[in-house]
Amino acid sequence: MAVSVTGPASVGVRPVSARHFARLKLRVMRNNMRGQGWRIALFVTGIVFGLWFAAAAFFLLAAPGLADDVEIAGLTAAFAGALLVLGWLLLPLVFFGVDETLDPARFALLPLRPRTLVTGMFVAALIGVPAVATFIATAGMVVSAALLGGWAAALAQAVGIAGGLLLCVAASRAVTSAFATLLRSRRVRDLATVLLAVLAALLGPLQIGVMSAVHNADWHGLAGVARAIGWTPLAAPYTVGIDVAEGRAWAVPVKLAITALTIAALLWWWSRSLESAMVGAASKGRVRAEHDLTAKPVAQLFPRGTRWLRHDRYGALVAREARYWWRDTRRRATLITFAVVGVFVPVMVNVGTTGLIEGQSQFDASPTLVSLSMLFVGVLAAVSLANQFGFDGSAYAANVIAGVPGRLELRARLVAYSIYIVPLLVVISIVLGLFLREPAWIGVMAGTLFAAYGSGLAITLFVSVLGAYALPETSNPFAMNSGAGMARSLLSLLAMIGAAAVSVPMVIATALLGGVWLWLALPVGLAYGLGAAMFGAYLAGDLLDRRMPELLQTVTPRR
Amino acid sequence: MALAATVSGVISGEQGALALRGLVKRFDTKVAVSGVDLDVPIGSFYGLLGPNGAGKTTTLSMAVGLLRPDAGGAWVLGHDVWSNPVQAKHLLGVLPDGVRLFDRLNGAELLAYHGLLRGMDPAVVDQRARELLDVLALGDAGRTLVVDYSAGMKKKIGLACALLHAPRLLVLDEPFEAVDPVSAALIRDILQRYVSGGGTVVFSSHVMEVVERLCSHVAILADGTIKRVGTIDEVRGGRSLEDVFVEVVGGRTATGDELAWL
Repeated sequence: MAVSVTGPASVGVRPVSARHFARLKLRVMRNNMRGQGWRIALFVTGIVFGLWFAAAAFFLLAAPGLADDVEIAGLTAAFAGALLVLGWLLLPLVFFGVDETLDPARFALLPLRPRTLVTGMFVAALIGVPAVATFIATAGMVVSAALLGGWAAALAQAVGIAGGLLLCVAASRAVTSAFATLLRSRRVRDLATVLLAVLAALLGPLQIGVMSAVHNADWHGLAGVARAIGWTPLAAPYTVGIDVAEGRAWAVPVKLAITALTIAALLWWWSRSLESAMVGAASKGRVRAEHDLTAKPVAQLFPRGTRWLRHDRYGALVAREARYWWRDTRRRATLITFAVVGVFVPVMVNVGTTGLIEGQSQFDASPTLVSLSMLFVGVLAAVSLANQFGFDGSAYAANVIAGVPGRLELRARLVAYSIYIVPLLVVISIVLGLFLREPAWIGVMAGTLFAAYGSGLAITLFVSVLGAYALPETSNPFAMNSGAGMARSLLSLLAMIGAAAVSVPMVIATALLGGVWLWLALPVGLAYGLGAAMFGAYLAGDLLDRRMPELLQTVTPRR
Repeated sequence: MALAATVSGVISGEQGALALRGLVKRFDTKVAVSGVDLDVPIGSFYGLLGPNGAGKTTTLSMAVGLLRPDAGGAWVLGHDVWSNPVQAKHLLGVLPDGVRLFDRLNGAELLAYHGLLRGMDPAVVDQRARELLDVLALGDAGRTLVVDYSAGMKKKIGLACALLHAPRLLVLDEPFEAVDPVSAALIRDILQRYVSGGGTVVFSSHVMEVVERLCSHVAILADGTIKRVGTIDEVRGGRSLEDVFVEVVGGRTATGDELAWL
């Protein structure tokens, strides 16, 4: 048969559409679960939780319609919409990661136009529990709109929530993808930190708005805020139904246009970073170790600041982990995100409730409230270790071959992580103490932080040994594997709750003991945290000894 | 030369450099390894041959303690890998295949890590690491992280990690894959010197030439069982190893009618 030498072989070539990507994603999800009972169980758990939250939110959002209150409906649509979009933006960065069942790098060799690729990846991203749950939840707004403004409002709102869902998914993809690119490159990764800080700071104004809503009950003032938010991409798609109900039908096309433009811009942004992600997998960009060549190998292994370690097995484990927390993009992303969230969230929570609203305090920040927010931060720090073996992937085989005892392994990992986290916790408590102009509370804050961090570690160690999972080998530090990833993050959420429960005595002591506790909290908290962490490492180490090969299997990505 | 290679499982696991007894591994419904017995005599250069998917990596992973077998056991120089791992792992050096190294370290750091992990004296680690980097021509890579190494360099640094603590048994999974001819010759030299010094090497491969050139003993693995085993001359039986291999494994050859559109 004669074949053209230069032209492409065009026999039987059909155009690729987004449908193919959707089917590919479904197929990959199904194959990932084949024959793995626990994955199916986790996936089902994820669906059940997702549906449960979705149903609850559905009724909440439908309530204003049932109560026949247009004003409240406008408020909830605007604020819930904004919260939803912000959640889609921030939560993947902070907690969950993004589902990268379809790794863009896999498409690098296929003759696909960028447009086809982005549309396909976008459609594939829409398939998943979070997207479906969001859709169900926001359908409550359609019910509200229908009850308040008839079928025209319902129709507008239906189009709105569909646009809103697209907006949420596009925003989360574009932002995580852009951050992945930023964190890969050494030059701009500091910029990425700043950007992340700004994003976290967005929680602040929102916090203030919610707080003043609760305390002022100034509904008219709030309605103005809600109307303003309604004109931003954050809530534009979600307020169209209410606009119709209130007789502002002219606003509908404008708001839908705002939404469409935002989605288009986000997709364009995403396609730019997708291209770099596709190339990035081929050449990861050179990260170089910085020190002189004449140094002896053993001395080279130990980073600055860990010179106090003895040069033995334990020291080597700590040194390697400490190096990894900075050199591995995925871990660095975790670390930076925690640093930003850990500093900003408590500042916003505590300052937001006290002084920032018109310089007038709604109610005084109490040591109890502060220590409660410290509890959250401490536990959050510990939960970063929930998949610590997943970070290593198959490289963990080296430790299995060398037969590292479980307790030694876990203790070394805790110490290496704490080299970064403990100074950070100290900074957080001092910064917050100065911010609140209550330096006397620094002891309580630090004490609670350490207690929560320590007990968080104790619980997290068990999760890391029993609930480890393989991370995909991509250059995106936020990437998670398949639909089961969502269910897996439920596990770390449960760990957080467990850890919080373990360290709650610190908060109770703060509430009950009063003045004496200001002095006692730091030493007690330190001892509590240290004791909990050591006890956890002792018990979980035993478990690890028995499960080393199994753990290696679970963290090795399937090829 | 030691001709103690036994096919039967009569001899207990207490002998030889590596002894495998009745190893079985199932993945979901697929049986990857179904009853492998193997005796590797001390001082032998043992080749484990097999087509892709024959179960070579699975067998070796179970032999060195990386993968828990569903049935059977493994002994390294008389020490049970699964009930007495500390002793067994002390005598064992492993180069796994398809497993990442701690590749965010540079070559020297990685060697130092492995050395200290094995409980070696830091001064000895320094000296041996330098020497290995020199001999394997990895010294030039300097501060480059292992993740940025080429595939061949990764194999070499992996081999250096396996050799560092001077083990008595080396288990290497596909040590010559992706290695250029110059480096391959170097690795062959190092391994031959190691064997002549009393060490034992077990390695897997599907490259006949390498196995014929190096090995004193061969086992052919296909479909999860050992099909042929013995000294290289016994297995060859006067023919070329490739002929024996193709006969044992059974394959098809293209007739020429297919793929006409290519």
